Formats: sequence, structure tokens, C-alpha cells
Amino acid sequence: MPTIAIASPKGGAGKSTTAVILGTELAHAGVPVTMLDCDPNKSLTLWAARGTVPDRIKVLTDITESDIIKTIREHDRDGQIVIVDLEGVASRLMSRAISQADLVITPMRATTLDAMIGARTIALIQEEEEALGRSIPFAIVFTMTKAVRSKQHSGIEASLSDQGVDVIKPELMERAAFSSFFEFGGDLYSMPAQGKIENAQENASAFAKAVFERLVGEGADA
Amino acid sequence: MPEDKPFSINVGQLKARPKQADQSRVEAVDKAAAEHGFVQREPGGRRGRPKSPRTGQVHAKVLPNVADEISQEAQRRGVTQGVVIEEAWAAYLESNGRR
Repeated sequence: MPTIAIASPKGGAGKSTTAVILGTELAHAGVPVTMLDCDPNKSLTLWAARGTVPDRIKVLTDITESDIIKTIREHDRDGQIVIVDLEGVASRLMSRAISQADLVITPMRATTLDAMIGARTIALIQEEEEALGRSIPFAIVFTMTKAVRSKQHSGIEASLSDQGVDVIKPELMERAAFSSFFEFGGDLYSMPAQGKIENAQENASAFAKAVFERLVGEGADA
Repeated sequence: MPEDKPFSINVGQLKARPKQADQSRVEAVDKAAAEHGFVQREPGGRRGRPKSPRTGQVHAKVLPNVADEISQEAQRRGVTQGVVIEEAWAAYLESNGRR
């Protein structure tokens, strides 16, 4: 089954939120999803404990460097998706997860610091591609973006696009519903309405669709 | 309001793709990662010398010269006195046809 690693050595970039949005939307659309919580902060486990885990989602916790490859391979089945949520630190665990990924997504806030640290993931992937002799599709998604786009955001995006980096559209905007995942658990269709929930559902769904298209080889523009 | 299932997915499109994970590939990935500062972050295993399986005790008083010779032989070989005694016991069993 396609494995998606949500990876960035930068903390606070929105990895766990991205993982939950993606997992719940894909499950909502009918895909069995296994989510691997590889973060010692246990964000996914916390989310799973806050409410009823949606149908078709399984969360596995306490995945370590020594068992990440084995765990991914154990769940490698057609017609399903594995999402790996990693700690925001440059670790061997992250590199091993990337080695088994069909798609690496790096969530990134639209700041120069996030872009600089996120770029380390790109460099790592390029090294791993050489070591493994296969290409590892990679994309970034801007997170916590505002309705009014900053010059910094536009500049970073233009720079990434110029370098051929795949930038997923739509970006994940800063929304009350997204930050409420870790308060209520569940998905955007089960939680009490937070802000403009319809807009959040639309944003999340379009993002998951864009990721799915990349998994089946239809989506990347870059 | 978005539809209940805003986009349809044909799960049949999702195919498992084989990826190499033999020891040499993992080592190559670890090496490449280390060059970029992606290193082991998890605490290692138990520190220090591993526990000895030699938990039995003998309580023997022997002549001083025998004690000295056992001690010197163990020190010379870099083993504990228990190892020398185990070997002596094995030799005793063999000489008596019990092993």
C-alpha cells in the first residue's frame, strides 16, 4: 500500500495536524488508513484518545527506529494507505521512514526559517534516492496560512517552484477546526462545529484529493 | 456545504510497491542520513557490561597455594575464577566418564 511519510526536522510545522487531516479525509472517502505515531510526543495517540477513532483508521503507537521498516512492511497491502507521523527532529527514524515512502510530504509554515530547515528534508531525500536507486516523490504543503498572503510566503513558494519542488495546492489554512482535532478527536464531520466548518471540510478534502492524485500518479505539477 | 463524500477514491488504484529493505540498503540509508545530521536520537540499550549468567556460588576453602594458583591463572587468561572452576569441574566429570 502506498506509504506517506509526513516529515520535517522543524518542530511546530504542522506535521501531526497534516497527518490527521489527511488520514481522516482519506478514510472518509473510503480508504483504510494505518497511521503510525513515531513522535515521542504522541500527538496522533493523543488525537485518537480524545474521541472515537473514525471508521477505517487504525493508529499504531510507539514505533521506534528499530521497528519502523518492519512495521511499514507488515502493513504493506494493496488498497490501503500508511501515514507516518514523525517527530520534528533530524533523526535516523525519519530517514528510515523516508526510505520506505511512496510520497514524502513536508508541511511548512510560510516563513524563511521553516523553508530553510525544511530544505534539509529535500537534501536527505536526494541522498536516499541515490543510496536506494529509486526515486522518492516529495512535496511540500504550506500550513497555517492566512487569507491574506504575505510577500514572504509568495517569495518562498516562487523559490521552491523555480527549483522544481512540488507544492501541494490547496495549502492548509489556519483554521479553528484544524487546531480542534486535538481537543475533540474524530474528524471534521464528527466534531462540534468550529468556525466555518464547511470551509475547513472543503480545504481538507481538496488537500487529500491532491495527495491521492499524487499517489496514483496523476497529480504533481512540478 | 460539501458533499458527504467530496471525492471518490478507487482503492484498487492503490498498489503496494516493493521497496528494498535489506541490511545493506538500510546501512546505506543510515550513512547518507548521518551525513546530513539525521542521526540516532533514541536512547540506546542498557549501558555497561551485560549481566553474567553465572549466578551460582560455591563456598569452598582451599589451601592458600591453590587459591593463589587459581587466582593467577584466571588473571593471566582474563577470565573470572568461576570460569577456571567450571573447567575443572568439566574435566572432573569427563575423567569419571560422566560426560
